[in-house]
Amino acid sequence: MRFVDGLAKSPFAYVPRRAPLQLASPGAAVAYLGALVVVAFACSNPLVLLAAAAAATLAGLLAGGRVAVRAGWRMGLSLALLITVVNALVYHRGETVLARLGHWPLLGQVDVTAQALVAGLSYGLRALVTMIAFAVYSACVDPDRVLRALRPLARRSALTATLVSRLVPVAAADASRLRSAAQLRGPAAAEVGVAPLARRLLAGSLDRAVDVAATLELRGYSLGARARNRRQRSRYDRRFYAVAALVLAVTIAGKLLGADDFHTYPAITIAVGPTTLAFCALIVLSGLAPLRRKPKRLPVRLRVAHV
Amino acid sequence: MSELAIRHGAAPALAIEGLSYAYPRAAMRALEDISLEVAPGEFVLLAGRSASGKSTLLKAACGLVPHFHGGEVEGEIRVADLDAIATGPGELAAAVGYLAQEPETQVVSTTVAAEIELPLEMRGDEPSARARAVEEVALALAIPHLLDRTVDTLSGGELQRVALAAALVTRPRLILLDEPTSQLDPVAGDELIWLLRRLNEEWGVAVLLAEHRLERCLAAADRVVAMDRGRLAFDGAPSDFLAWSHDADPALTTPAARLFSLAGIEPLPVGVRDARQTLRGMGIAHPPPQGSRRVRDSHSSEPVLQAKDLWVELDRGEEIHDVLKGIDLEVRPGERIALMGRNGAGKSTLLRTAAGLHVPVAGKLSVDSVALLTQNPSDYLVRERVGDELPGEEGLAALRVVGLEHAVDADPRDLSGGERQRLALAIALAGRMEGEQLPGLVALDEPTRGMDRARKDDLVALIEKLAGGVAFVTHEETKATGAAVVVATHDVEFASQFAERVVLLGDGVVIADGPMAETLSGGWYFATEVARMLDLPGVVTPEQGAAALAGEEPR
Repeated sequence: MRFVDGLAKSPFAYVPRRAPLQLASPGAAVAYLGALVVVAFACSNPLVLLAAAAAATLAGLLAGGRVAVRAGWRMGLSLALLITVVNALVYHRGETVLARLGHWPLLGQVDVTAQALVAGLSYGLRALVTMIAFAVYSACVDPDRVLRALRPLARRSALTATLVSRLVPVAAADASRLRSAAQLRGPAAAEVGVAPLARRLLAGSLDRAVDVAATLELRGYSLGARARNRRQRSRYDRRFYAVAALVLAVTIAGKLLGADDFHTYPAITIAVGPTTLAFCALIVLSGLAPLRRKPKRLPVRLRVAHV
Repeated sequence: MSELAIRHGAAPALAIEGLSYAYPRAAMRALEDISLEVAPGEFVLLAGRSASGKSTLLKAACGLVPHFHGGEVEGEIRVADLDAIATGPGELAAAVGYLAQEPETQVVSTTVAAEIELPLEMRGDEPSARARAVEEVALALAIPHLLDRTVDTLSGGELQRVALAAALVTRPRLILLDEPTSQLDPVAGDELIWLLRRLNEEWGVAVLLAEHRLERCLAAADRVVAMDRGRLAFDGAPSDFLAWSHDADPALTTPAARLFSLAGIEPLPVGVRDARQTLRGMGIAHPPPQGSRRVRDSHSSEPVLQAKDLWVELDRGEEIHDVLKGIDLEVRPGERIALMGRNGAGKSTLLRTAAGLHVPVAGKLSVDSVALLTQNPSDYLVRERVGDELPGEEGLAALRVVGLEHAVDADPRDLSGGERQRLALAIALAGRMEGEQLPGLVALDEPTRGMDRARKDDLVALIEKLAGGVAFVTHEETKATGAAVVVATHDVEFASQFAERVVLLGDGVVIADGPMAETLSGGWYFATEVARMLDLPGVVTPEQGAAALAGEEPR
């Protein structure tokens, strides 16, 4: 854990870097990372989902967001595990019964099937991809630029703009303070607990986001004037838009060609043919988009001054 | 109205007529029939106890009330001739700057430069004009070195100055400040007040400043407005305010005025310079030194905290920074210590290290059980019932220590600010006590933020109770000594009330460590108003000052 002047710094906090993803406009970065999330929700084949997770991880690592990627994986895996377990307990369909857990209150007879487990795993992988992509967005996309980009769209509502651009950084800062306070509780005080902490974090973050929105109003956010900015465009924008378009096109094509075929009930069938593998490979390769190429040495003609 | 007309117009900077306001779903009005006018270039100090309506009045003057908070409003507010009720805070931004109590909620950008530039960008200024304005306001507030930092790496005081810079960068006609010095060390606090005075005099900016520590700013003010339960209780000159508060609400009076009052000297002084002139006029230049308050001899007991050559480093985003640089410190049971120093000197880091939140990189630290209350007590409160936060007999014992045993079934959100703070302390104490016996060290980090004097007096009583230990007698058992209480604070007057020892940190090292009366009377910034006024070793409180004056025969 990193500490900044006394407080633990959130792994999701934005860190300015001169890397392509950070230099890209918010629209391009959101399009690129959003495309990976679209893959997660459009596809169900675990191989494809793992490829999307790998792409998001690669993108985050190349953008310098190692800490955020690690936190995204940690949270995503926890969520994936929870979804898998809940799905296995709630859905009793499937041919292969792995365990008979008897009669449970509310759930009735609980039979854990391999099919329900795998189906849950697929849902969990979707959550994992979304968490990693979100972590990369949070750590690598400048919220200031997001705020400015939102201004023409939500000029009359500083609150909307704040919730979109600032809720995560505010919640991350609050979470680090709440974590510190949780460590300082006396041993006989009630355990903080996940649910009360989440409720407190959400309520506190919303309150503070409202305060930040008030500040934004005071800074003149709702005024009509639009300032000319020195750095509006980035040379990396086209790359990210192109990769996003490519990912979406490949996803549509992959779905049409059956590369994403995956069925869990009554028996598990999964596409693992060359089309699927090629589809996965392309998705993984999309994770290289934030790669920074070494600048080419341009031919320079030296002018020699004769004295 | 054009900006030129707004800037140089003859209309009052702020004119309020018959203003009443109630927050949504509130049982009572927060403001009741307020009429007030602030002239261009006037410096007005807004005084009053906690929850008297000061913050609401400031929010009304910048348009947040009612535009952002909703509620019912009656009356009229005009800011630089703009109707604040018909116009929103965005439109008012050209004429008024606002600085709220909590600097954390006032930053919306990632870097300091972007934060200061934002209002100009929203206004549509050209990049070159923005760059110049940012540079100038950064120089005026002495923060050019912060411009490239990200805001999450700033200390509370630095953040406060950045928020002020963002409020001032558009050069508004009126600046509204809600306790701007509450997070600043005495040096930065004094600098801020005199900077406001300079802006007020040189730029003609009208200032409306709400503050609890009146001794800091009374001398700079042209006029004082006092509020009581949403109404204007007083409006007049600073010297008249002191006479009024002496009779009507002594909690609002300043230490210098209390000293004069105790010594029977009139008129009451509005500041140190004023007091010295009065004393000189009476021929009282140098009262004889008094004996300072004795520090308890606790050297016989084992220290509860022992730090030897303690080094702690923290990440400031781009670099690793040594915050504590070889601290040597011993704290013994029953001691009441004020930990003071400039913003960023390492006070919070020392307390957090003692509580185990940071790991030292070098040196030795041995410490007993520590209960630490951080700057935001609300962070400790996650449940909707006090008893659910502190279950069982041990929880009840902790509630008894802070005097909240009657509130077991209350919702923490319904408690007052002071009660919430005590509840958070009880949560930190729970289970660290053996029966009713306190942990070795109780540490409080900036506990007086936003507190009026009455609440500070309650806190002093609690600290004395914690350190004394005898209050926690369980039937026939009596404790000989209480916990060592270490309080990180910028409030020198508060420190003079509770502390017997002051440890002064400077850039991560201990630069002074001694009896409170000696330490707080030997300097200029880290000295009480009485100490600055009389300049006598060991004389820091109004009572000591009055005793010193009584021992001097006027020549």
